Amino acid sequence: MTSFDQSRLVRGAGELWKQGTEAAFLDAVRDASLPRPAFDRWLVQDFLFVQGLTVFASLVAARAPRDAQRVTIQGLAALNDELDWFEDNLEQRGLDVHPSPHPVCQRYTDYLLASAYGKPVEVLLAIFFGVEAAYCVGWGRCEPKGPYAEFIERWTSPAFIKYVRVLQGLVDTHPHPDQQAEFDEVMRLEHDFWEMTWKE
Amino acid sequence: MLSHELWTANADLRQACLEHPFVQGLGNGTLEGDAFKCYVAQDVFFLKAFFRAYGLAAARCPDLERAGVFHGLMGGVLEELKLHEGYAARLGIDLRTVRPYPAARAYTDFLLRTAWHEGLDRTVAAMTPCMRLYAWLGKKLRPRLRLDHPYQRWIETYSSDGFEDLARSLERLLDGVATDTPAVRDAYRYAMRCEHDFFAAAMEETG
Repeated sequence: MTSFDQSRLVRGAGELWKQGTEAAFLDAVRDASLPRPAFDRWLVQDFLFVQGLTVFASLVAARAPRDAQRVTIQGLAALNDELDWFEDNLEQRGLDVHPSPHPVCQRYTDYLLASAYGKPVEVLLAIFFGVEAAYCVGWGRCEPKGPYAEFIERWTSPAFIKYVRVLQGLVDTHPHPDQQAEFDEVMRLEHDFWEMTWKE
Repeated sequence: MLSHELWTANADLRQACLEHPFVQGLGNGTLEGDAFKCYVAQDVFFLKAFFRAYGLAAARCPDLERAGVFHGLMGGVLEELKLHEGYAARLGIDLRTVRPYPAARAYTDFLLRTAWHEGLDRTVAAMTPCMRLYAWLGKKLRPRLRLDHPYQRWIETYSSDGFEDLARSLERLLDGVATDTPAVRDAYRYAMRCEHDFFAAAMEETG
């Protein structure tokens, strides 16, 4: 299983890291008991979230120091591919490609964009790492099998893990005293996002 | 006018704010001191973001005349912050240690995201509900003022002609820069929802 336990921010987040990466939603994906409507509700919100994350990533890339430009630009291109994949996938599943944001999703993307403009770039690297690492580790707890195998496989690929490790390294080479507080905030938002789908 | 239409379209939320136990307690003078302290501290955090959002809106104005109106509104926020600092000093709140509650942070992140990233129309639409709602609540609560009312200053501030003028000048800006689009309606309504949740948080967090 993928681990980021060596990360200063992961260690510092303690219980919050656990809350941001473990969820009943993911347990239900793993044991194939998650009802499809609950997964679909999550998927359309995740599509909206990725739209917000793409804007966030573009702003991070624009503000990144030289040694962080390559991975942030590559991350941005990967997010664009992800949006294409989402659009195809949602259409195939007959889901709304122009959904209204759930308040939890709106809260999270508002946070990302307000931060992207207003916080130091070193803090943005910590936020970016937090978002991607939580996703990577959360899905990494699932085996790629069952009705959601395609999704698990996609979000636990070696290329994705490698990319998150590069972000982790950038956090270490660009420290800032506010990184931990914002990494912790990302974990709170991740927790709420995993939980969001259970309610209609 | 658009400002009037949006205010009318959100009558359900403004009524929910008025009827919320926090606002009713404020009007009746029965609100627990801890809830008011919590609210003041959170509102300072909010007003600092509101001030910045006005500044970003001013920067987006193509003409100095409108930018000047935002400048005047920023002065209004500074006055409100002084009022709150006065409360904080009297109530023993250390504003340097205030951590925002999720409801306050949701509201300020929404405002700042809109102000940084969206157009002037949506930014003004996101900021108007706060001003109009407070002017309206102040007037609704004013008849309940009595001698030794613990929240007299709060009610007098928001029911004053000066505050009404600030709310009106923001609404005039809204009418001048925005048209009736779904995005403008969504921004206005979401801000009104945030107002309600902001009052609710002050009571929930203090039990």
